[in-house]
Amino acid sequence: MSVSTSARASKEHGASILVTALASFFGVVLIQATAFLVDIFGDTDGAAITALYSVALVFIGLALYVAAVVTSNTFATIVAGRTRTIALLRLLGARSRDLRRSVAGEGLVVGLFGGAVGMVLGIGASHLARAVAVSTGQLPDVSYTSVQPLVVLPVVTVVLTTTLASYVGSRKVLDVTPVQATGGAVDSGVEAPRSRRIRTALSIVMIAGGVALLGLGVLIGMVNPGGVLVAFVGGVASFTGVMVGAYRILPATLRLVGRLSGRGPAARLASANALRYPDRSTRTAVGLLIGVTLVTTFAVAMYSYRTMLVDEYDEATVGQVLTVTVGIMTGLIGFSAVIAAVGMVNNLLLSILQRTREIGLLRALGFTRKQIRSMIVSESTQMVVASMGFGLILGIVYGWAAAQSLLGSLSDRGLTAPTLPWAVIAGTVLCGGLLALGASLTPARRANQISPVLALADA
Amino acid sequence: MTTTVPLVARAIQISKYFGDAANPVSALDKVSLDIHGGRFTAIMGPSGSGKSTLMHVMAGLDNASSGQLMLAGADITSANDDALTTLRRKQVGFIFQSFNLVPTLDVRGNILLPFELDGRAPTAQESAWIDRLIATLGLQERANHRPHQLSGGQQQRVAIARALGTRPHLIFADEPTGNLDSRTGREVLGLLAAAVCEYGQSIVMVTHDPIAASYADRIVFLADGRIVDELGRSSAEQISSYMLGMERVR
Repeated sequence: MSVSTSARASKEHGASILVTALASFFGVVLIQATAFLVDIFGDTDGAAITALYSVALVFIGLALYVAAVVTSNTFATIVAGRTRTIALLRLLGARSRDLRRSVAGEGLVVGLFGGAVGMVLGIGASHLARAVAVSTGQLPDVSYTSVQPLVVLPVVTVVLTTTLASYVGSRKVLDVTPVQATGGAVDSGVEAPRSRRIRTALSIVMIAGGVALLGLGVLIGMVNPGGVLVAFVGGVASFTGVMVGAYRILPATLRLVGRLSGRGPAARLASANALRYPDRSTRTAVGLLIGVTLVTTFAVAMYSYRTMLVDEYDEATVGQVLTVTVGIMTGLIGFSAVIAAVGMVNNLLLSILQRTREIGLLRALGFTRKQIRSMIVSESTQMVVASMGFGLILGIVYGWAAAQSLLGSLSDRGLTAPTLPWAVIAGTVLCGGLLALGASLTPARRANQISPVLALADA
Repeated sequence: MTTTVPLVARAIQISKYFGDAANPVSALDKVSLDIHGGRFTAIMGPSGSGKSTLMHVMAGLDNASSGQLMLAGADITSANDDALTTLRRKQVGFIFQSFNLVPTLDVRGNILLPFELDGRAPTAQESAWIDRLIATLGLQERANHRPHQLSGGQQQRVAIARALGTRPHLIFADEPTGNLDSRTGREVLGLLAAAVCEYGQSIVMVTHDPIAASYADRIVFLADGRIVDELGRSSAEQISSYMLGMERVR
């Protein structure tokens, strides 16, 4: 028997559907665009075609990964909000495994729906853009593929990852006890830090080993471009270490940012709120961290290559090619950051909905609407600043290591300082600022619709 | 009733409707009530009598549909949200049935929250007062604990300290013993009564419990959105039999 734990599923899943549709849309458009490129250069050999699709699949994989992280986090948040209902169903005799399966079933529906919508829109958009480009003469008028069968790949993957992500995210269903339905249980309001020594140790080993390999790669790079391979392994290892240990690193970063964000009551409560569920905050921030790190790594590496190459070769040619490449790459990776941003907005919104009573209390005790709004803006700003600041630093280190290990042997000056792409950094910071503000608009409006009377209502 | 005692709150012909305009449900029907300073007033009535609504409206948490309201010397009938919020922050204290402490703040943080919300640190005098409250309420050992580490009775004592901390004109208590066992409940009621007679604090308490009401100086009875009667200080037995009588008449 399947029991639903939700009475307002469609409302809660809006953001997950958007995330899935965006990921599916992105994948389909990228496959279609690759197919069009192959149509244009019809006589290219098989290896080049495989290479093109491989590059497209790497970018699709990145977007899907970020989407899965976002979805699993969203489901965990939704489950937290349904604790009482789940407890009641458990009290009445439902098995927790069945309830969890029912939540994962919602994930399957979300995945199917979002994936299908993204596919239809993606195919439509790709042909629309192609038709416009052909009519304005930017693309040649050849015979184009209508639908490249490979588009099924990202769509199916989206459905699978969404279902899996919802299953992973619904793990907390198993922790709900029937007693929680009787109202006797006190909400501790804070997540108890779990001891995860193995995880922490693994993270430290991976980061330390990765950093050592990065350094080794840079050293080898001074004599041989092959150093970049060593540095690449080091980069992947250390970033995975950061991901594994994110549940410790990001809360620490948030705490630091919180301390810097002022002493007013709104800012203080905001930083306490951000640290209240460290795991949830971590999952929210991780998506953005991945996006910003990748964008910065690519940009710093490309601009540093450019500086080194310009020293050696003709400035004009190298400069132009690299600028275009950086632009396209940044745009493609930037899409993951968009998905992360949607997840962030949604997470903040859900956490407001789940704090209705507390916000009512603050209003009753004398928090004005303006103070509630600045508390929420401050919460989202701290989240954005922490993940973007950390991502920028990581990206600069990785980008510099990549450029240095590949081209260090070209320059006889030894180590070259990284070239910082100020335009990209400024753009990232600007987008982050807009994101922090945008992520707080809807939640703040919702919070200010809460009447102080709610705090007095019996639970 | 002596007229020399100042009024801390006054409701004049207050009505409150819920639901849509075509089909209004009346919660309060032209209620007039004067609350005098330095007294412990209980508002009693069965479920759905409108006692909670009356409290929400008098505390400036909810708007009345018609009538006039005074609170802490100000006419709040048509005050806007910001003005009401500031008034609540400075002049009103709240004690809730479900304690309602902020889970991310420790005991001291919760007690100091009204000052935080006001964007200021307590003065030396206020700090001394708060230390005295913490000592009187037996919370010294718990000052750095979070709410979930406290028993229900301890949480409610923190809420009392929070409400008394700013020395507000008036404290509203909504079924303050509703979630407590009877012994802890009596302790909490004793603390509220002591705040009235020792510090001259004005308290309005909404309750349906005759034992709780027996700690009050004045008991106002509400039924079907109207004030039907009131008693002076009475024993729990007197209040119980009075309420049973009310039921029979209806």
